[in-house]
Amino acid sequence: MPAKRIIACLDVKNGRVVKGVRFEGLRDAGDPASCALQYCREGIDELVMLDVSATLEGRLAALQTVERIASEIDIPLTVGGGVRGEDDAVAILDAGADKVALNTAAVEDPAVLQRLASRYGSQCVVLSVDARRANGGYQVATRSATQATALDALQWARIGTALGAGEILLTAIDRDGTREGFDLQLIADFSRALNVPLIASGGARNADSFADALAAGADAALAASVFHDGLLGVAAVKQRCRERGIGVRP
Amino acid sequence: MSVGILALGAANSRSIVHALQRAGAEAVMLERPEQLAAVGALVLPGVAHVGYLIQALDRGNWRAPVLAAIASGLPTLGICAGFQLLCTRTEEAPALSGLGIFSGTVTKLRGEKIPHMGWSKVEARTSAFESGWAYFAHSYAPPAALRETLAITQCGAAFASAAGTGSVTGVQFHPERSAEYGARLLQRFVRMVREPAYAG
Repeated sequence: MPAKRIIACLDVKNGRVVKGVRFEGLRDAGDPASCALQYCREGIDELVMLDVSATLEGRLAALQTVERIASEIDIPLTVGGGVRGEDDAVAILDAGADKVALNTAAVEDPAVLQRLASRYGSQCVVLSVDARRANGGYQVATRSATQATALDALQWARIGTALGAGEILLTAIDRDGTREGFDLQLIADFSRALNVPLIASGGARNADSFADALAAGADAALAASVFHDGLLGVAAVKQRCRERGIGVRP
Repeated sequence: MSVGILALGAANSRSIVHALQRAGAEAVMLERPEQLAAVGALVLPGVAHVGYLIQALDRGNWRAPVLAAIASGLPTLGICAGFQLLCTRTEEAPALSGLGIFSGTVTKLRGEKIPHMGWSKVEARTSAFESGWAYFAHSYAPPAALRETLAITQCGAAFASAAGTGSVTGVQFHPERSAEYGARLLQRFVRMVREPAYAG
């Protein structure tokens, strides 16, 4: 088993990091590549870049951003957000991303997972599942969580992995940005039922909340704002995980 | 002195170009077999389905020239699926043959969660290789019992995370994404880069 991972997420819009990043000593805290490098120095295990641009120009800028980040960092980079299909995924991987994360495009055309996996291998294809609590269970939402679907989240994750997704990025929408802690029940259910690695997202609060998510079965725990806002350092999170007996990369 | 990266349509070739540049080498993508003569080292990159890579190798008529370059002692590094490509066969594409530099069959991993994704320990089996933490992302791997094994890693069972023979090295992890440990490996590789066979 590999070490459990701590992942930072950069939300990028029109080539700039949005959601304030308060790194000290950075000349330009809105520059994605500078932020990415700073996270590397702090010992983050992996980066996720989410493109939240709404326009075509924004998405093209995002591709250049992927290229810049990928050329400077020496840890893995996953890119998601606004991936409309196979062509976008290929462009993102060509720009230097190690993995591509799909949500809406996969819901609308599940076979895209199969096509990407047969060319690049499953380890390159991440299925992003935005899960919202509904009717006593969890349902998949698409289009940046603005659109509800009738898909059961776990059922959909099973289908996605059978088609070729090699990793699940599971976001508990009800926890996203709330700092209430990760949804441990959701994580445990997914981890038990799936045989691919699971990245838990949504609700990061303090160092213990990461350890909780990893102990509940997540293989990686992701956060954006607690890191961006400087509330929490990567080293402190890893230290707490080690104290609780969770193996992380030194 | 430049390092040529075989352009077989693998996803992360650009990351490898940048990592080699950070290690102090000039890196060029090789689009045609004739270009092999102009480089001082070769990288077989690796984010791809290995069957896709093998087919691209044969479609582009790379097999014989790559084997000849390796036989001539060209320093060569296979990364991830590029390492698997250097083995004899693979369960992932049983109908196809690899380059056969490493004598073994690549098998499916049997860990609890597959792909093996993330940072794991590389345990050197010889003083000629360095142990450390590296980034992996794969579902298949060469067997630990490979005659040429330099290092092993655990995922369910042990597999060969590095192997070497002559001027050829294969690594199952991604040195271009393995922080300082990977950078040191690439620096050692770049130091092996030789003068090209023909200057012009």
